[in-house]
Amino acid sequence: MKRFRHYAGLWGILASSFIIFTAVSSFDSISIGRHELKSSGLSQAIFGKAQTEDVQSAPVFENDTVSIVQSCNPEPVPVDTAAQTILIIGDSMLEGLVPRLAAYSDHNGHKLYAAMWYSSTSAVWGRSRKLQRYIERLHPTFIIVSLGANELFVTDIRRKRERYVRNILDQIGEIPYLWIGPPNWKADTGINSLLRDATADGCFFLSDGMQFRRAKDGAHPTRESAAEWVDSIMRWMPESAAHPILMDAPSEAKGRPVKLWVHQPDEKDIDPDLK
Amino acid sequence: MECLSDLWQNVVRHLSYSPSEPMLFSSGTFWALFIIFLPLYSLVRNRHRQMTLFVTAFSFFFYYKSSGLFVGLLAVTSLVDWTLSRILARTKKHALKKLCVGISLATSLGILAYFKYANFFLWNISAMVNGNFQPLDLVLPVGISFYTFQSVSYIVDVYKGRVAPTATWLEYAFFLSFFPALVAGPIVRADYFLPQIREKRHVTSTETYTGLWLIILGVIKKAIIADYIAQYNDLIFDTPGGYSGFETAMGVIGYTMQIYCDFSGYSDMAIGLALIMGFRLAKNFDFPYKSLNVTEFWRRWHISLSSWLRDYVYIPLGGNRKGTARTYLNNFITMLVGGLWHGAAWKFVFWGAMHGAGLAAHKASQPWLRRLPDNFVVRTMSWLLTMLFVTALWVFFRAGSWSDSWTILHTAVTDFSFAYAPAFASARMLWLILIGVITISHAMPEGFWNKIGDAFVKAPWTVKLFVFIAVVQCVIELRSEDVAPFIYFQF
Repeated sequence: MKRFRHYAGLWGILASSFIIFTAVSSFDSISIGRHELKSSGLSQAIFGKAQTEDVQSAPVFENDTVSIVQSCNPEPVPVDTAAQTILIIGDSMLEGLVPRLAAYSDHNGHKLYAAMWYSSTSAVWGRSRKLQRYIERLHPTFIIVSLGANELFVTDIRRKRERYVRNILDQIGEIPYLWIGPPNWKADTGINSLLRDATADGCFFLSDGMQFRRAKDGAHPTRESAAEWVDSIMRWMPESAAHPILMDAPSEAKGRPVKLWVHQPDEKDIDPDLK
Repeated sequence: MECLSDLWQNVVRHLSYSPSEPMLFSSGTFWALFIIFLPLYSLVRNRHRQMTLFVTAFSFFFYYKSSGLFVGLLAVTSLVDWTLSRILARTKKHALKKLCVGISLATSLGILAYFKYANFFLWNISAMVNGNFQPLDLVLPVGISFYTFQSVSYIVDVYKGRVAPTATWLEYAFFLSFFPALVAGPIVRADYFLPQIREKRHVTSTETYTGLWLIILGVIKKAIIADYIAQYNDLIFDTPGGYSGFETAMGVIGYTMQIYCDFSGYSDMAIGLALIMGFRLAKNFDFPYKSLNVTEFWRRWHISLSSWLRDYVYIPLGGNRKGTARTYLNNFITMLVGGLWHGAAWKFVFWGAMHGAGLAAHKASQPWLRRLPDNFVVRTMSWLLTMLFVTALWVFFRAGSWSDSWTILHTAVTDFSFAYAPAFASARMLWLILIGVITISHAMPEGFWNKIGDAFVKAPWTVKLFVFIAVVQCVIELRSEDVAPFIYFQF
């Protein structure tokens, strides 16, 4: 004990804080005022359901999302060749998606507007009126949503997130849309099946299971890989989307949207009715 | 039972090597392991053999978590070096001594060259002969550049008689694999560190809490500031020319701050961890962006690397002992080596070459620089020129390619307009605040930070706990779901 004397205080700090963070992370959410504290995830990491192997090596079963989404694809509909005003909203995955999508838009005579909200989730957008304000301002004829990457590991996700996903879809209303699923780097806790169930047939692109080359963070696809991701979506669209728009392959590798709005993680824009 | 099974599987998963989840000091896994490590370490701290065995085992496990089976390479390298150093120290034959040094250097540098530079070399050969280059499928072992340089310094110091070879392989393995410095430095020198292994360590509460303070500072710099501002900086560098001049310039400034916070933050954590264990590692950063010239910059930036390059490249080349022209050339070559050490790409060679040219130019202009008055205007201009030079060269360091670098610099300079400033400030207020925080804190005198550190060390235990919890929660609030490895991790 004498040898440990000089370390006792330090060890107490490390151990106590570890226990505190583990205990706090077992609660659904803790707020200080109007701010909901993010969880450390320690409780899930230690006591949660053990994660299976990487999804790429997991066998495909009959009832998994891949086969269910594929079976929901409607009959191909004629491609809408009119010039579109496209609005894409989402999280930091837009960094990779937007440049290539902008090239497609430029080539096919569309206008692309992008609103990227770092670290956002369906809850963040679902609690906010930002999307509605963008719609009122821009009058998009086609909306693309890219959300889910920041909620791959949320426990009890249906209970926590379904109403926000539906709120986003309510805000989209009758406007044709496409929800691009997250590019999983690990098996998720249900976000893909939630999105598949909530979206209309032909309005959800399942990215889980695709092979990506990742940036150094191990999660975001590299720029080249994200461009290939967009190419895959555009190849999928004419045959499988509920409302395919003209998106012939461009000669340019990348472009710029008409406007890009960037929102920080700490931005407050919460609809009080949806807190 | 299922609960216990999940718990066991989670523990095994966290203790197993995963390429996408390297062991970082700021990770929950390391935190949990250190909580277990510390009391065990306290029991063996002053029992030499048990201490070296325990810490070496922990260091090897740490390296396994970072680099998988390459831990075997580390073990083999250390065994080869140590064996050769023993032969070298015992023999009186000069030729045999040189042979031992030669074999050791060939082994260490050969392994480094293979993993780090083989594809670069083959690509250049292929380009020269218009061949079809197929890269070798090589994974770079984490930290190989750091421990290779430590290995070189050890064998050279033994050869020159500056340090005695370690009595046991275990001591040498301890030195080479010491986990606080293993994967991203500071580069530990044998003559500085080996005596500390053999001494009894008298660790006081002041030292343990000073170590904790350094870890907290490191976490703030790396896991809060660097990781957050990187989100915007990456946008700029990954889409060269895709943003306005103002936004691009902000990204360039942001990366200048990011690389400092990332690397010095990691060094702070490493030094803090070592201090907690009773070992002293030399300071690695000394407010480099206060420098008034390039020479001073390299006395303040990555000090362990620049001093290693001075002692094992610059001085053996002749240093400043062979005339002015040769001094400039030696500086230039030394910085070329420094640039190449950072990565196998011409952009790093260019970066090193330009710093070498900057050092040579500064030395050459000493006669007339000394005639300038030492006043506020001159010092400000000196600082500005140095910062412009260093910042512009960081673009080459970070950008994806040669052409991307020029596109970014061209956009930042020719398309610059303050008209973007209000919108930028509105969209990126937190990013600007963090840049402001690190800029102001960098400008504060060192004594100020010493006083803050002293206040933390003397504060009540509950205050320390609160500060630690607050910092960790800030990390959680600002992080993305991903891990952004330390910039220098890849070296």
